Amino acid sequence: MDAVLVIQSLISGIMIGMVYALLSVGFSLTWGVMHVIHISHAAFGLLGAYLAYSLLTIYGIDPVVSAAASAPLLFILACGVYRLLIKPVTKAKEVIVASMILTFGLAIILENIMALIWKADPRIMTPAYASGALILGPFYFQHPHLVGFALSIAGIAAVYFFLKKTYTGMAVRAAWQQPEAAQLYGVNLYRISMITFALAVSTAGAGGISLALLNSFEPHSHNLWLIYLFLVVIVGGVGDIVGTALAGLIIGTITGLSMAFLPFQWVNLVTFGFLMVFLIFRPHGLFKQGA
Amino acid sequence: MQGNRRKGISLFAAVAVLCGLLLTAPGAAIGAGKPIVIGGSLPLTGEFAETGLWIERGMRYWAEEVNAKGGLLGRPVEFKIYDDQSNVGKAVTFAEKAITVDKVDLLFGGYPGTAARAVMAVAEKHRRVYVSMGGHMKSFQQGYTYSFGAPPLMGEWWYEGFFQWLNTVPADQRPKRAAVYTINNPVGLSLQDSINRWTKYLKIDVVINEKYNSPLTDATSLIVKAKQMNCDILFSNGFFPDGVTTVKAAKALDYNPKAIVQGIGSVVPAWVKELGKDGDYVFSGTVLHGMLNYPGNDKLNAYVKKRYKLPAYPLYFGFGYVWMQTLQQGVNGAKSLDQTKIRDWLKTHQVDTIAGPMTFDKYGLPAPINFATQIIDGKAELIFPKNIRTKEPVYPKPAWKK
Repeated sequence: MDAVLVIQSLISGIMIGMVYALLSVGFSLTWGVMHVIHISHAAFGLLGAYLAYSLLTIYGIDPVVSAAASAPLLFILACGVYRLLIKPVTKAKEVIVASMILTFGLAIILENIMALIWKADPRIMTPAYASGALILGPFYFQHPHLVGFALSIAGIAAVYFFLKKTYTGMAVRAAWQQPEAAQLYGVNLYRISMITFALAVSTAGAGGISLALLNSFEPHSHNLWLIYLFLVVIVGGVGDIVGTALAGLIIGTITGLSMAFLPFQWVNLVTFGFLMVFLIFRPHGLFKQGA
Repeated sequence: MQGNRRKGISLFAAVAVLCGLLLTAPGAAIGAGKPIVIGGSLPLTGEFAETGLWIERGMRYWAEEVNAKGGLLGRPVEFKIYDDQSNVGKAVTFAEKAITVDKVDLLFGGYPGTAARAVMAVAEKHRRVYVSMGGHMKSFQQGYTYSFGAPPLMGEWWYEGFFQWLNTVPADQRPKRAAVYTINNPVGLSLQDSINRWTKYLKIDVVINEKYNSPLTDATSLIVKAKQMNCDILFSNGFFPDGVTTVKAAKALDYNPKAIVQGIGSVVPAWVKELGKDGDYVFSGTVLHGMLNYPGNDKLNAYVKKRYKLPAYPLYFGFGYVWMQTLQQGVNGAKSLDQTKIRDWLKTHQVDTIAGPMTFDKYGLPAPINFATQIIDGKAELIFPKNIRTKEPVYPKPAWKK
């Protein structure tokens, strides 16, 4: 086996894995903190991608700038969605099931809105660096992969430090781990849940933009992205930021190595086979222990 | 008084005669003015929406044209179109519904091949004429007698035109080593048929022949492999997303084979619109093209230019139109909406369409059709056969411009 091919495949796999991790981190948070399985998470990511696409094609604004600009926009939008739709569902007896059904509907609505605005045509994000590559010896680092990778590292790090170092972040963690105790200490659960949800949707936007730098996208692409969200979050552990990042890397590594060593048609089989084996041995994720 | 009675008798007689005339008149005369409903489903949302919408536009243009000329059998035509959301199961359900619940007069062809293939069985069960692209060769070999490919979208024929052109290139200038990457589904696999036959004939070594499952999230490894193995022709047998991923990786990794042949993805307008210059010089094939010199193409192009600001009609706009054009000739030929009569007429007569004249064999297929295309300066040009050539092919492919 050619070492260059193996390393090159590995590099590409890891970069894509990190992009999946950024897209997944918010999904993991809402699931972990609020017990809401947010099926329309990837659709919000796609919305971010479409916004960046329009900003790029109309005003020539770089997708990285758009990722920063769309984050507060999506945050505000998500606050509205939370108040209107998600909050009532969190009071349901079966929050997980109710949230899945509700957000599934929301995903369909978002998909149709995107189809209405941007039409069903497939789109490609083509900033000036879209088809360039950094060449280091025999290895190629495609610029969009590099940018997506860097954006993902920055996004995940920002979420991590927000949760670890800020008062609100610590309140989010407290609300997740001990909701009753957190309330006794004056944590406003409603406000914290809304912030968590909005933060998650903001990261979805950045993740969607990163992913759109790598692949073409259409209004229904979120369905495909959702599969990877589940894959990453289940491996990483629900609500675990570091676990989600590592899961992205692991899945990227497996995909990359499969592409180097096996026929390409086996890649998905190996990736999802890994998920099944993983679930047998670590049903709670990378770092979590069962009750 | 007597006069009144006489008047009454006369009126009664007139009404009776009128009723008698109405009762003995042919059905068409009674139904004159009642629209002919043509039903079925298209993928108007979901994965294949882009294509489905173009098919619908082509069909609706045909209907506008027919209605403006007095309709079909003297009756206006209208569509009952369901959105199957790119789901084969729903396409089958809607076909059943159109036939059994809506009791439509005629069926229209669906998309993609997997849906058309499934609906062909439904059409056969209900003995309904079904003019569509079909689902590649196997779908036409099921013994169906009511299905027609007019023209079919036949993966097995897809690269015939390209290889026939390559055969005209001097042997020492032809590619020697091929990398073939194929999406692992019936559409992709059907494209391999002509590659296998022709690479043997032209003595091109297929050094990589791999399948991948959708989605292809990254093509870096594919391109690295092809580059390392000095493949000077790349076959990317996939849809738009995989085609784009592959071409983008080829450019980023500065992989410059003599030719890139892209199966299906490069025929949609988005290829040119979204990829721009990077989409240039890609070879493919087609069974229909706006620049073909058959009657009707100019009119369609003019309409599309005015309405959609495109230089020529997109392939699937043409398909939507030509399937209806074929059905129209079948109905006019049979002078009836009787499905068996329409089928028998189509089996025994030639239809003249924008894709050229066609006669159908026992499978409902015309003689193999394929024209080689190449994207040149952002336009899908016809390059082979020579008599329909719109531009000289660019070969070998120029190196990527950074």
